[in-house]
Formats: sequence, structure tokens, C-alpha cells
Amino acid sequence: MAELTYREAVARGIAQEMERDNDVVFLGEDVAAAGGVFKATEGLIDKFGPLRVRDTPISEQAILGAAMGAAMTGLKPIAEIMFSDFIAVCFDYIANEFPKSRYMTNGQVKCPLVVRTGNGGGSRFGAQHSQSVENWAMMIPGLKVVAPSSPSDVVGLLAASVRDPDPVIFFEHKSLYATKGEVPDGEIVDQLGTAKIVRQGKDATILALALMVPRALEAAEKLSNEAGIDCEVIDVRSLVPLDMQTILTSVAKTGRLYTVEENPRLCGWGAEITSIIADEAFYDLDGPLIRITTPHIPLPAADNLEDLALPSVDRIFAKIQTTMN
Amino acid sequence: MQNEVNQSASSLANDDIGTENRLELYRLQVEIRNAEQRAYDLFLQNLVKGTSHLSLGQEAIAAGVAVAMEPNDLSFCTYRGHAHTLARGVPSEQVLGELMQKDNGLMRGKGGSMHLTSVEHGVMGSYAIIGAHLPIACGAAWRAQYRGDKDVSVCFFGDGTTNIGAFHEALNFAVIWKLPVVFVCENNLYMEYTPISEVTAVEHPAADRACAYGLESIVIDGNDADIVYRTMKTAFDKAREGGGPSLIEALTYRHSGHSRADPAKYRPEGELEKWKERDPIKIYRERLAQFGISEEQIKEIEENSMKRIDEATEKCKAAPIPPEDILATDVYADGGWAWRN
Amino acid sequence: MEVLMPQLGETVAEGKISTWYKNVGDKVEAGDTLFEVETDKATMEVEATESGFLTDVNFTAGETAAVGTVIAVISDSADSAGKSTATSVEEKPAGDNGTGGAEDILMPQLGETVAEGKISTWYKSVGDQVAAGEKLFEVETDKATMEVEATVAGILSDIVIAEGEAGPVGTIVARIGGGTGGTSPKQEAPKPTTPSMDLERFRPTSQPASGHLDPFNEVKTPALVRIAAKIPDGIKLTPVAKRMIQTNGIDAARLSSTVLSRGGSRVAKKDVLEFLNSGQSTSVAAEKPEFLKVTPGPHDQVVELNRFRKITAERLTASWQTAPHVYQAVEINFTALNKTRLEHKDSYKERHGTSLTFLPFIVRATAMALRDFPHVNARFDGENLVVGKEINIGIAIDLDGDGLVVPVIHNTDEMNVPGIASAIHRLVEKARESKLAPSEFEGGTYTISNNGSFNTLMTTPIINAPQVAILSTDTIQRRPVIAGSGEDEKIVPGLLGVVGQCFDHRAFDGAYSARFLNRIREIIETRDWSRDFD
Repeated sequence: MAELTYREAVARGIAQEMERDNDVVFLGEDVAAAGGVFKATEGLIDKFGPLRVRDTPISEQAILGAAMGAAMTGLKPIAEIMFSDFIAVCFDYIANEFPKSRYMTNGQVKCPLVVRTGNGGGSRFGAQHSQSVENWAMMIPGLKVVAPSSPSDVVGLLAASVRDPDPVIFFEHKSLYATKGEVPDGEIVDQLGTAKIVRQGKDATILALALMVPRALEAAEKLSNEAGIDCEVIDVRSLVPLDMQTILTSVAKTGRLYTVEENPRLCGWGAEITSIIADEAFYDLDGPLIRITTPHIPLPAADNLEDLALPSVDRIFAKIQTTMN
Repeated sequence: MQNEVNQSASSLANDDIGTENRLELYRLQVEIRNAEQRAYDLFLQNLVKGTSHLSLGQEAIAAGVAVAMEPNDLSFCTYRGHAHTLARGVPSEQVLGELMQKDNGLMRGKGGSMHLTSVEHGVMGSYAIIGAHLPIACGAAWRAQYRGDKDVSVCFFGDGTTNIGAFHEALNFAVIWKLPVVFVCENNLYMEYTPISEVTAVEHPAADRACAYGLESIVIDGNDADIVYRTMKTAFDKAREGGGPSLIEALTYRHSGHSRADPAKYRPEGELEKWKERDPIKIYRERLAQFGISEEQIKEIEENSMKRIDEATEKCKAAPIPPEDILATDVYADGGWAWRN
Repeated sequence: MEVLMPQLGETVAEGKISTWYKNVGDKVEAGDTLFEVETDKATMEVEATESGFLTDVNFTAGETAAVGTVIAVISDSADSAGKSTATSVEEKPAGDNGTGGAEDILMPQLGETVAEGKISTWYKSVGDQVAAGEKLFEVETDKATMEVEATVAGILSDIVIAEGEAGPVGTIVARIGGGTGGTSPKQEAPKPTTPSMDLERFRPTSQPASGHLDPFNEVKTPALVRIAAKIPDGIKLTPVAKRMIQTNGIDAARLSSTVLSRGGSRVAKKDVLEFLNSGQSTSVAAEKPEFLKVTPGPHDQVVELNRFRKITAERLTASWQTAPHVYQAVEINFTALNKTRLEHKDSYKERHGTSLTFLPFIVRATAMALRDFPHVNARFDGENLVVGKEINIGIAIDLDGDGLVVPVIHNTDEMNVPGIASAIHRLVEKARESKLAPSEFEGGTYTISNNGSFNTLMTTPIINAPQVAILSTDTIQRRPVIAGSGEDEKIVPGLLGVVGQCFDHRAFDGAYSARFLNRIREIIETRDWSRDFD
């Protein structure tokens, strides 16, 4: 067991897979020599050499297109898009090329690649470098979408993503890079499509993702101590495939559901999950399904404003406390 | 600097191409012509549905490149990809079947005209988003380079593609990584409905951009299959030896509209007729005669091809429509569609 | 999949299957009602949660099984061997016309609030030739019985709902002219010209985790939970509360009232749990006290009440227990009225073929009196008196000891005596032949129970809830009447009869009721009845 930062876990996960399989290659902007702008890929070029760890020009379309061509013809590429906001620049590959080629070609073409990208706010980078866009990927048929919240999940889910034969978009959270966590030694492979109950409870279920997970946990503690409300917190981890069974089982137990979402309000990941619950688990519900989200605005740069926008522990606490009765 | 590759037709003495290749070049062009013409006719009968982008008049490029390719080489083309698919040896029945949306189609009707793919034949996809496949071809070439495989990736696109971002990213990328990829621009003078000259800053949409990426500027007569063949051979050799990418602009003309829906009324009068005199099949027929191929042999090629197309047409007409249970298959690698448990 | 005896309530360990709605071999769709379970607290319907074929039924109607036992099995294919449905011949989905020209006989509309009927009698058997218009079977509901005729001529090829079984309105009860007959039709479906919507084939075979889903059902919608009890206004039930109420057989109206009374506006899970734990969950038909229990002796005959009587029993009990019944009567002198009646008796009989009795006169008088005493022409919802705009008098008709029906004469006050007489006659005939249409027993605002032929002096009828009053007319017979006064006072024969009313004392009081009754008397005794025969 070792204590790693989230960013160290990224390098560890990539290294684990590159060691295992020679077909795993890695490309991106400033990822090799510089070790990544977030220093998440330091040491990889030293370990695996410049043929397997490659720096690219500022060419997001070329990065993803090349990853796809390589994946189609036998390699297992990991491509980095520096800031998840930039997937808008190369969205054709994410929306039209990766996820549809297998289907359109009746199963002839495969696309076993991973796109890693720095997602989320809290780092004061301003509106175009702070977005949470996992919901942009969630809505496209044929992709898999992952967003880990802890270092050990980073390693395990990254490994699972690399080994997955389908295109996976792997959303790392920029504000979590510095956080620390225990990571077991040895090879770690987790499972996509599995959510994790990170706190057991009986009064209400809280679903959260990435940065919102520690905040939900803190709010749950506070709710337990100060309001006598015992919340179950679920780290969704994988938006596609979605572990609805874990979520539905929890809702059947508690009857109340909250989501804590960093994406702006409209069409966030929680909108889909709450709609499934409102249908399938309707008769388990003891109250309305409540989503706690960032407001539907671009994100400001100033720290007090950005902190106001993203769901905070206090805001999560207050919302749950006032709506549980 | 422009460098036009031109060759006199009657160099019998040093025939670098050879009879076998020549026959194949002709056969492929005829096959493509017949198949595309048949697709045109079937569209009028509402048996080919949706949209279809035909290569009538552009057969020499597809044939010339294909004959120059090794079996392991990979093709990436656009939605105007029937010709390139047929040229790599995919049976016309499967191509027509896909156009007619039947179960015997190349992708059982799931892809359609614009996405013809046969991995088995090295046709790694027809791409409908302009420019998308240029970086993808780079990726396939990167894999070859990484693994030490000797195959080359060929990427076909039209003149209109040269103005989209992905074109530029791909060229730059291919050059800096010295990738074994050949970019072939089929300049048929029209970007969809607009003359390419009206929307491009330079005269030769591809060749005049080559210098921006440190590449040689190459413009060829795309209607002469021999010229195409020779040019490609040079480019392939360069790529296979690790010399990096090439960008070739092949001039041609399309006889029909941009797609079946387009009657092409935007063409100036006389332009089509002028180009029909430079019909690649007409040119090559004469070429064959010059190289001593008999009229009988030529006719036999033509008749056999037509017979094959007729047989394929009947087979496709009789084939069933795709079964409903393939609607949600092959979304994911496990064959299914499930996004949740 | 196995269909288990469901949870029936906190303290309930077993249930009796009262009715099966499906037969072995039937194709069932998710959501179809399979069977009904009775406990001493409640009855509950059990629905199929998956589609398939009902291949095994381990407990039949009348049998009791413990909670959690396997009652039935729904399989993928019609035979339990589990053959792929793609290779077997499929049964045509219910409601589809044209099993090679067969005519489906459906469970007819049985009344606004009636969702199903029980086939009490089959008049034909499979294989019989039927003529168009011929009686096929009789359907019972809690309101009435009804006969259903064949709509076409042909051979009765299939009986889908047998005698003694029930089925929902609109489903197939039988088929005429289909295939080679049988009770579980399995015929080759005609080749569809449009893509079939059989979504079974979308079940992915390589996806065990989501095997219960398909591309058109990516989310599994649960069966609806309906609470039959009337919930008071101003209170809502959370979905989980609804489900718990249904599962535990709780009296939702009582629970809601409890919550309302403590100022709540929402019944949530904790309210239901509280209610269950407090012991209030024992409903009206709860644990019987010892002295009410009956142990049949060796020679006693146990006569089971038929479904109709059982439901009537429930309603009468409910009415009796909720409405404080008060009986009042007046004695009415019919002598003068009778004169007019006798004058017109023959011409009426000649014209209509039936006798002119006292009843239409009484009904007429009552209708007129109701105009003057509108609160008697009302229904009570527990809080409010809903005064009827129309006067629709129902006449309680005894079906020769086999049940009671109350057909309604709409707008009785707009009809004269001959009109009322004809209407009564027509309704009685229809009732006796079980041919009453739903509209003919709906909408009643007042009821008259005619006991005139029983030779009784008076009767205290039970109010036809939610109406607020009911009239009883008993025997009219010759009795001595004091006529005149003072010196001229003498005893003369007269025709007297007691007309009494039971009314719900929540709706109005004795003085109002008395005035109403006296108005009837006044009309009967003083009205120029020949006016009705002009």
C-alpha cells in the first residue's frame, strides 16, 4: 500500500498498462518531455521511450484521429486532450467517428482507445478551462464514460479503460490532482460500469461524481451530526456503462434521492439518472428527486464566484436538510 | 514550384507497367463504371435509396492507385467511395447490396452508401465527415511505423477537403512524424456545388498547399490510369522506405452531380462535353490498343464485367431486407448495446 | 420466472387464491393480472412482472398458499422444456382480429367503474354451432348480471374465460370461427405486412447483466399501484406510501384521515409505518371476536355466498356502518288514488299489456316531493351533501331471491304515471333478463324499495349509499278508517299502506324528513290523479 496523489496515480495507471502490453501507446500535447501540464504523466517517456510516449503539435483533431487510426489497426492508444473543454475542438471524433464505426461497419472496425482529459473547475482557470463535460460524452451512443474520484480508482479504472475494447473517455478532475489516497501495491484492475457505495446510510441516497464525491461525503457527515439525517453516498464512477442496480437498490432502501453534479443544470448526468429512477423506482420514492448542480451559467474566474457556483458542502447540506422532513 | 508529371503514351519499349497490370487497370475502370452507372439507374428506379455519391468519370484514380497498392496496404476514402471499395476487390454484389439496403450488403444495410468498409480487403472505411479520415489514416500509418509493418495507408479526398482544419492538421502531423501515408486529392474542380476556385486561396487546392508542409507539389492528369499508377508507385516506395508522406493532386472531372440528388446545373456549358472527351475509359481503351491488346480481349473484359454487374443486380434485388434483430447489435465490442445494468 | 405468493401484510403468512385470470399455457404480458389473493384483511391482485407463457400453475382457485411459495411459472416458451420461441408457432396476441377469419367475443363494458366481470354461466360449449344473436354467456359484476350474445354465426371455437372465471373488460372471452377449436388457441400468426413489434428478439443473448431490458425498453417501468379507497381531498400519498398501503392491505382512507387530523397533508413512508405499528391497521373486516365465529356442525349446510351477494353484503355493511340510519313512516290512505287507478287500469292494460299498480303513483308522488325537499335527493361524501340537479329514482328490484338490482329512471319528475309505469316495467323485464345497460343503473339520486307484494306492514331498508335516503312502500290493504268528525264520525273501509323512509341523519334531521314524507302523503291523498292520464 502506498499513498499517492491523484496525478501520480495517473502515471502509475498508464505505466502499468504500457508495461503489460506493448501495443499501448500514448500521445498528447506536452505529455512526454514535459510530463504533462498537470504533471500527471511524468516519467513515462523515460520508462517507455519516445516511440511509445509522443508529444504532438496543438492539433486535437489529429491527436484523436491518429489515435483512432492506430486503434483500428491494432494498437491500444491513450490520447490526452489537455483540458476537457477542448473536446469541443475535436468533437467530431468523439461524437461521429469513435462511437459509430463499429456499428456502421457491422462489427468490422474496432476502436479500443482511451481519451484522458482534465475535467472540472475549482482551479480558477475561467469559463473555457473549467467545465465539467462528462455529460457531453454520456449522451453519445457507443462511448464509455468514466470519472474517478480517488487515486486508487484512477489506477484501477484507467487500467480497465485501456483493456476495454470500446472507446473510453476518461475524465480526470483537475482539482483532484493534488489529493492523496491509499493505493494498493501491484497490478490494479477495476471494473467499468460499477458504482461504489462510499458511505452507507438509510435516510437518503446521494449520488456524486469526481470532485463532488468528497464534498458529498463531508455534507453527509455534517447531516448526520447536526441534523440526524443518515445519508448513503454513492460514487457513480462510470456514467456509461451505468450501474443502475446499485443505485436502484439504494433508492429502494432510502426512498429519497439527491444528485450532486458539477455540470451546469441542463442535461447534466443526474438528469438522466433521476429520470430512470422516476420511472423504474417510482414506487420506492418517498419524496421528490432533487438535483444539486452548478447553475446554468458559464463559470467565473474569481475564486469566490467560482466557489459560489460549484456545489459546496454547505449548499449540499442545506438543500438536503431543508428537503428531508 | 509546380512539377507536372506527364508521360507520352507510346513508350512500348520500356513498358514499366506490363500487360497484366494494364488489363487489370482497364478491368477495374470498366467495373467501376458499370457499377456506378448501374447504381445511377437503380436510383432512378428507387431501388437504391438515400444518397449516393458517384465516381463516374473518376475511375482512373481509383484503379490506378489500387493496382499500385500491395494487398496489405490500407485505403481510407470519403463518401464518394464506391469506386475505391470496388477497386480493392470487394465484390460488386456486396457494394450494390449495401446501396440497395439489403441484407447481403457489405454492412447488412447498417452503414449505407457513405460508409462502405471492408477490413478484409483493406478498405478501412468511407468517411462522411469531410476531412475526418485524414488524421485517421495518419494513425494507421503510425501503427505501421511503430510496429515496423511495411504497409502504407492511402487517403483519398476531394478538392473541398483541402480547406478544412483536419486536412492541415493531418498533413503537418504526417510530415513531422514521417508517417507512411499517401494523400490523394481527387480534384474534380467542384467542391459540392461550388467551383473550387471560388473558395480556395490558391490555384491547386492540394498541390499549392504542399509547400506549407515541406512537401513536393504534385499535380497529375487523374484521368490517365497509367500516370496515376506510376505516380503512386513512386509515392509508395518513398513511404515504405521511411521517406514519409506524399500529397498528390489528381485532376479529374465527375460526369454526374455531386450526389444523385444534384443535377449539376451549375456547370458552365460545354464543360462536361469537353471532359467527356477525356473520359478515362476512352483514354485507356485506346491505350490498350496501342499496347497490342486485341479488340476481342477488350470486349471480353467489358462483357464479363457487365455480366457480373447484371448478376449482382439480380442477386441484390432478390436478397432480403436486413432483419430487425440487428438494429441494436454491435454498438459495443460485446455485440450488444447495453449502457446500463 | 417464478411467480411467488407476495407479501400480504405484516402479520399475514398465507393467502387464498380466490380467482385465476389466466389459464395454463396462456401468453401473458408484463402487467397482466394473473390471479387474485384473499386474506382476511384484504384482497390483492397479482400481476405478471415479465412476459412469457404461463407454463405451471401450482395452486388453483380456492387453494391457500404461504407467502413466498411458488404459485406459478412464466416461461419463455409455451412448453416448459424451454424451446426457443423463434422456432415454435406463436399464439396471436390478444385483441388481434383475424385468426383466419375468427370473431373475438370480448368482455363487454360493464359500467363506468367496473373493470372486470365474472362469467357466471356458459350457455354454449366449444364446438357448438351458434347463431348470431344467440346467448353465449352471462357476466356478473357487483352491480348486475348481463348476458352476452354472439355477434356472428359460426362454431364456438375457443373459450378463453371459463365459467366461474373473471376477466377484464375488453379482453377476449371466446372466439367464433377460429381454427380447429380448443381452450388455449395456438394458431399460426398471419404474415405481418408491417414490421412486427415483437421485441423479444432484442433481448441480447450475451448481456446477462441487462437481460431484462431491450433497446425499446431501456428502463423497466413498474406496474401501476392503484388505491381503490377514496382519499380525502387535501392529502397526497407518496409513491412508496401507496405501494406499502397496497401491499399491506391498509385502509387508505382511514390512514389519510389520521394524517389529516394531525395537520399533515402528505402520507409518507413513516406515516404508513407508524400506522402499521400502532395497530390501527386492522381494517373493518379485522380479527373476528370469538362470539362471532361460526363452526359448522356435521349436518350443517355451508352455503357460500355468490360473488354478487358478497359484494352486496360489503356495501350494505359499509352503508349501515357509516350512515346513522333513522326510520320514519307515514300511513297513507290510497282510497281516492285507487279510484283513479281502477278507472284507467283496463285502458292501460290494453295499451301496454301490463297492470297499472300503485307503485308508479308512489314514484310519481315521491319525485314531486323531492322537488320540494332537495336535500333528500342527495348524496353524502362524508363531508358534503351533493344535492342532485336531476331527480333520478332507482327502483330496487328483487330478482326472485337471487340478488337485488336498482335500475334508475332518469328525470323521474318529468314523467307522468303511465310513463313511469312503462319505465318500471321495461326496467324490471330487462333486469330479470340481465339485460340492463350500465347507464340504466348509474346516476341514481334516490331509491324506492317496493315491498308491496310481500304482505309486510313496514320495512326499514338499508340506504343505497352514498345516497342519503331510501323509501319503502309496503302492503296496501283494506283497513278500517275513521271518517268524518264529531257526530258524523264513523268507521269506513279504506286502503291504507305504510310508506317509510330510512335516512342518513348526517344529511338532515327528523323534522325535514317528516315534512318530506308528509308531502308524499299529501300528494297521494289529495292530488287529482286523473290529470296524469289526460
